[in-house]
Amino acid sequence: MQLPAPLEAKFNELVKRYPRRRSALVPMLLFAQDQFGHISDALIGEIARRLDLNTLQVTETLVYYSMLRRKPAGKHHVQVCTNVACMLRGANRIYELVQRKLGIGHQQTTKDGMFSLEEVECIGACTGAPAMQINYDYYENLTPVKVDELIDDLDVGRRTEASPYTAGALHERHPAEVPVTSRRWGIQNSRTLEVYRKHEGYQALQKALRQMTPDQVIEEVKKSNLRGRGGAGFPAGVKWSFVPKDSPKPKYILCNADESEPGTCKDRPLMEFDPHQLIEGIVIAGRAVNAHLGYIYIRGEYRYVMDILDGAIAEAYTAGLLGKNILGSGFDFELYTHTGAGSYECGEESALMESLEGKRGYPRIRPPFPAVVGLYGCPTVINNVETLSSVPSIILKGGEWYANLGSPKNGGTRLFCVSGHVRRPGIYELPLGFNLKRMIEEVAGGIPNGKKLKAVIPGGSSCPLLSAEEADLPMDFDSLAKAGSMLGSGGVVVIDEDTCMVDLARRIMHFYAHESCGWCIPCREGTHWLRRMLDRFHDGGGRAEDIPLVGELAKNMLGRTFCPLGDAAALPTISIAKKWRREFEQHLKGRCPYKPAESLVGTL
Amino acid sequence: MAEMKQTTLKINDREVTVAPGTLVIEAARRLGIEVPSFCYYPGLSLQAACRMCLVEVENAPKMQTACTLVALEGMVVRTDTEQVHQARKAMLEFLLTNHPLDCPVCDKGGECELQDMVFRYGADQSRFLEEKIHQPEEKWSELVYYDAPRCILCFRCVRVCDEGMDVKALGVGQRGAYSVIIPNREDRLECEECGMCIDVCPVGALTSGTYRYKTRPWEMKYVPTVCAHCSNGCKTTLSVRNNEILRANNRDLSGINNDFLCVKGRFGFDFTQHPERLKQPLVRRNGKLEPTDWEDALTELAARLKQVHEKHGPGAIGFLGSNRTSNEENFLLQRMARATFGTNNIDHHRTADYAGLIAELGERVGGALATMQQLGEAKAILLVGNDPTVQNPLVAWQIRAALRLRGARLYIIHAQPIQLRRLAKQFVEVPIDSEPGVLRWLATGRGKLDDKLAAELKALKDTLDKESDVVILFGSEVSGAATRDLVAFGSRLAGQTRYMALGDYVNSRGAADMGLLPDRLPGYAPVKDPQPREAFGKLWGASLPEKPGLHARQMLDAAVAGKLKALYVVGANPVKTFSLVAADRLGGLELLVVHEMFLTETAKRADIALPAACAYEKDGTVTNTAGEVQLLRKAAEVMGPRTDFDLLRILTHQLARLGLGRGIHMRTPEAAFEEIQRSVRGYDVSLAGLLTGGAAASQPVPPANGGTPYDVPTGKIFSSRDTLFTSGSLGRYCTMINSLSEAKTKP
Repeated sequence: MQLPAPLEAKFNELVKRYPRRRSALVPMLLFAQDQFGHISDALIGEIARRLDLNTLQVTETLVYYSMLRRKPAGKHHVQVCTNVACMLRGANRIYELVQRKLGIGHQQTTKDGMFSLEEVECIGACTGAPAMQINYDYYENLTPVKVDELIDDLDVGRRTEASPYTAGALHERHPAEVPVTSRRWGIQNSRTLEVYRKHEGYQALQKALRQMTPDQVIEEVKKSNLRGRGGAGFPAGVKWSFVPKDSPKPKYILCNADESEPGTCKDRPLMEFDPHQLIEGIVIAGRAVNAHLGYIYIRGEYRYVMDILDGAIAEAYTAGLLGKNILGSGFDFELYTHTGAGSYECGEESALMESLEGKRGYPRIRPPFPAVVGLYGCPTVINNVETLSSVPSIILKGGEWYANLGSPKNGGTRLFCVSGHVRRPGIYELPLGFNLKRMIEEVAGGIPNGKKLKAVIPGGSSCPLLSAEEADLPMDFDSLAKAGSMLGSGGVVVIDEDTCMVDLARRIMHFYAHESCGWCIPCREGTHWLRRMLDRFHDGGGRAEDIPLVGELAKNMLGRTFCPLGDAAALPTISIAKKWRREFEQHLKGRCPYKPAESLVGTL
Repeated sequence: MAEMKQTTLKINDREVTVAPGTLVIEAARRLGIEVPSFCYYPGLSLQAACRMCLVEVENAPKMQTACTLVALEGMVVRTDTEQVHQARKAMLEFLLTNHPLDCPVCDKGGECELQDMVFRYGADQSRFLEEKIHQPEEKWSELVYYDAPRCILCFRCVRVCDEGMDVKALGVGQRGAYSVIIPNREDRLECEECGMCIDVCPVGALTSGTYRYKTRPWEMKYVPTVCAHCSNGCKTTLSVRNNEILRANNRDLSGINNDFLCVKGRFGFDFTQHPERLKQPLVRRNGKLEPTDWEDALTELAARLKQVHEKHGPGAIGFLGSNRTSNEENFLLQRMARATFGTNNIDHHRTADYAGLIAELGERVGGALATMQQLGEAKAILLVGNDPTVQNPLVAWQIRAALRLRGARLYIIHAQPIQLRRLAKQFVEVPIDSEPGVLRWLATGRGKLDDKLAAELKALKDTLDKESDVVILFGSEVSGAATRDLVAFGSRLAGQTRYMALGDYVNSRGAADMGLLPDRLPGYAPVKDPQPREAFGKLWGASLPEKPGLHARQMLDAAVAGKLKALYVVGANPVKTFSLVAADRLGGLELLVVHEMFLTETAKRADIALPAACAYEKDGTVTNTAGEVQLLRKAAEVMGPRTDFDLLRILTHQLARLGLGRGIHMRTPEAAFEEIQRSVRGYDVSLAGLLTGGAAASQPVPPANGGTPYDVPTGKIFSSRDTLFTSGSLGRYCTMINSLSEAKTKP
């Protein structure tokens, strides 16, 4: 099959990025879809041929990823996020409006082929909620009026203004903020090498390559008490030290930029405003564990961010900061971006590796852990964007300095994405251990409309929710654990007293049921069952015996699933069923007694 | 290698000692403790997906999957706690949410692993009120049907197709609760149709076109026997109801093949019920074959054989045996030829050079012939010729197992880009029909090869020299002098070398072992060698001929030329196999006798055709291509045909009554096998293993020859080149297999 020249060139370049050709599969499918609108049988055959796969291997991978489609979509593919952060700010009403206006439903296309519609899961625009994407463009802080105009404009081919950057990232700094990884945000052209260099850029790399041994680098990171910012909070330096030094196999650095935890949108601005900081952190990590090849696995929805990263990587190559003999040190490091194509599960480290190897994003059996057996069966360090972006500062200013910014055993600062019912949703860099209540009330401006706080999701929707009474606590890994929850990914979703907690539990379960990979029974069946049951319950079909069953089913998943996704679905559900049991009981009378989520729009 | 330290752990307070690396689920099994599982399947990659095998481990923060947990010294495991039981119950409850509870009408009812698990560990009531996900059943091929709602997504089918078969025809579609298994051609399958996916399916999601909705499992009897098709001799368990075979599988995982069967083994049994089956003896009268009764046919047969013998002497009679009939039948046939008629004119369609291999190995034969199990555990394998994937499916399965589970290396010398090529560490492509020359060069350095090929072979030889243990497999491309060269080459390799000749049909090896050869007695003793000749003569009460007889081709040529007057064919179709362009009759033959199931090209020309029972309708033993003896057991019966054993035995009595030879008094195949055990070198195998469904390796060591090489056995060796979907004459009557689209497109 004859491909357009740019796609042909892209394909040829892609297969060269990886030690195994199959790794190019998901990116090839997505780029081909960008070109042709969908993936035809002919394309499947063509890609299979190029990668030496059978068509079934291509098909089964393709159908796994929610962004990939085999049927044409509209010229403008409207993707409305209705996940928690957006839902709390009126996304349901936006979604209904778009349906009405276009006369189509989920995954349908208008007759003229101009528009197609999809209700999507969290797109990483939580501090700009409600938000949607049209093709790859972000539109944030939507209102019904804005959406109405936007669709009219697109329909007649008028130019529209997409959001220029993550809404909520740039704002007046609150005095309590301690900008470290975000300190260059807002500086003009901060994403360029030139500006980055003017602001301490690549000095840490220089130091790591010239003045430090790899062991000293690891030691410094250990000293910093830097804990994984993806959600699990594992000490980064310790993780690096697990990489076997004597292994004859190649070693890899993976940057997990598959940010998809509902409520979380901090990796996106970290990459769009300061891509070089990330690149620098990755090269330092490579140096520390003697890896020479790295990939940034970035979620498919973040296409414009990937373009920014690609630009920065190209700059870095030109400047000798990537490639052979970096800064004359003799150290070589190659770095590429790799796009996902719609799967929350691929943010789980081992599923990410499967995905990067061109397969369905199923998690792997552990042990062995990635540090020993990771990508292509080789030792691999995998860290979140924020974790790696913290490394240059740690190397430059010392682990001790970084550790002292936070609380004991919880070094440094953290980007908190405060969304939901607050006056100033935004991404705030605060020291670890910062009080949650203060974060909500002072930093994010408190709850609008004189409403009271009901609940907080402290670190993305996978965490047990905190009630208003529990919210007065320091935001660090250990304090949250003590309170029976988790610091998670930094996504703080604030929920006011008018919100229906059954509806919230229902929406959360929709997400996990949609994202369950289907590998293991308890997650596959448990999320689906709970989703259906919570739907029924919220719609007024609940029975008294369903109330304990919600918690029981969630507990039957907890700790028994193959990967943490099952726990992630179970934990918030258990907490809601326990702490807000009364609201479940209120629903037994037949209808939801709370204000529907959509009516919140415009009242903020 | 140093002795590996054993690991001792405690499961439910009981100690068990296992080899290092053993999984807890297997260690528990050793104690007779069942740890339930769906996705765990020995020999396939680990998944830990079904979560049924969660167990408690001391000092572990949460329950662990016993199917992935490696037993460690001092580990303390509990499978009997409240938590474990509750987890199993919960897991089954989850599984049943989207699983239809249609057990009364499900094809798997009664032998369903999910049903069994729920019975044992499940809840007695359902709390799931929501609507189940429903999808309609799909027909993927004539043989494979998929019912998505019943599928529990254990992925056994996907793995067996990928890892076990290297076919990769099954995958997973969608994700989450909507996940389904998908076939390789959108809505249908195009594959080897081996049915392994159906076989390993624990529930009624994958069902077979031959068996589905015909019966209930408890209505059938189960008969262990050996597949009737290729030379690999897979053990099969026939499920039989009212004398009709309804299914073939090997679910008890016993025998040399464990659960493996190919398309022929699993679905190629319907020939037994084919409408064209011969059911009455036929005798040619006035140029036409006419049905008659047994008394009439056997009386006439004996009289006419006696007549030819008297008139033209022993040399005018020839016998062509079968590579499908049992060892006992072959043993009787050659005894009749040699003892009753006094001729060595006996042969069969030879498809592998077993005789040559054994002659070349001579006294080294003990331990130099690889068994199927040894092949599966091989460290290195060299394949010369043959295409095991289609011709010897179990051999191919074992090769893949060795590569996958033991990290073995495969080397191939071949003229065709066979499928195994993609698994080979080195593949040396040679010109068609050049294998003998290549082996000559490898063994002696003589002959001329082009430089590139010589370099590749040199590299191969160097690599093989570094292997400590090589199993050499060879097909019909290698025979006679080439076998001699192959063994010479193999025996000069640095490590240990074992061999396996790859033939075509279920008892190809047994036919040779039992002396269906013009120059070899049973056990490969040369007929010229007086000692074994006299020993067998004494056993059978006759003086056996010393002069080697005509081989198959020579007999047929003699028949066409009118020099051979009577030809006695048992279970063979030489007219087709040897491509005879004879007219109605084979030249000057006065008498052509054929034992057959169907009116084959040869049977059509017979003067007397006797309807014969097939392998599934008789007791006895067969020997597979690796020399492993296994029991055939009568599973079904068709009215009319008789076993070749009975026919031959009765015939000798008829002949004795006419004054020719002695009647054979062994009434049963068991008695004949006892004589074989006593008299055939290498067949003194233990019955105990055979009776329990196992195989016993025969080691037919030829008698010492005083250091001089044996004669290269005479006669041509060639393969029928059957595909996965053909099986000589038998294959034409396998209706289901012939209906497959793959059988039509890949003839």
